[in-house]
Amino acid sequence: MKRFYFFGFTILVLFDTIVQLSFKYAGNHAFPPEANWAWIVRVFGHPWIYFAVVGYVGNFFTWMTLLKHAPIGPAFAVTHLEVVSVMLFSAWLFQEPLTWPRVLGATTIVAGIICLAFAESGAHPEHDAPTEAKGALGVAAGD
Amino acid sequence: MSPLVVTLWLLNVTLDTVGQLAFKAAAGDPRAGDGLARWKYMAARPWIWIGIVSYVAEFLVWIAFLSLVDLSEGVLLGSINIVVIMIAGRILFREKLTPLRVTGILLVTAGVAMVGIAGGG
Repeated sequence: MKRFYFFGFTILVLFDTIVQLSFKYAGNHAFPPEANWAWIVRVFGHPWIYFAVVGYVGNFFTWMTLLKHAPIGPAFAVTHLEVVSVMLFSAWLFQEPLTWPRVLGATTIVAGIICLAFAESGAHPEHDAPTEAKGALGVAAGD
Repeated sequence: MSPLVVTLWLLNVTLDTVGQLAFKAAAGDPRAGDGLARWKYMAARPWIWIGIVSYVAEFLVWIAFLSLVDLSEGVLLGSINIVVIMIAGRILFREKLTPLRVTGILLVTAGVAMVGIAGGG
């Protein structure tokens, strides 16, 4: 069962990471962003946005499978840990700098998410999802 | 961060919060019943549609936002959604804010502030 959780949550974070990386690629291809139809056409004119959609669907089914067994608190925390994986992949793929404010900010945010996860475990019965079980875009959406 | 980036960030938080709360209002209505009747009940009321429209708009706003900031910075700044939705849930649905939740909210906010203030990196 431990192995089930480990792989399940790893897959979930991977899907979340793929979604965010694809959004970034889609946005870059459609650059500059404009409030018009032409920009939307550019966004959907490149394959990246569809990778995001596939990642999102995969994410949804993984999440639903995990929630059948996993308590909501830890599950909630793991879905937001993508901030760390996305940061590492961004450093690698987009050569984004791992600055101190980012590393400290990410550490503080993760500490906060862990608190919220424990709070969630205590405050709800297992079958009762919290208001923000899953962000719209895997973020907080966000994420 | 430029005014456009800040605007997109605020729009994203607003749309995510409105979307989440609208879905919560749609799904949590005890008069909705079960099965197909429940879906019909929800479709005949504005909440689920407000949720869907918010999410579609948020999707586009988020892509625009990410194309203007570093991805690592973007997802960190996006974490504020967790906080805003919890506070909105407290106000609208009277969900409990335990000391542990308040600690979590403060930590996430502090982390987002660090990234935001240093921003532009």
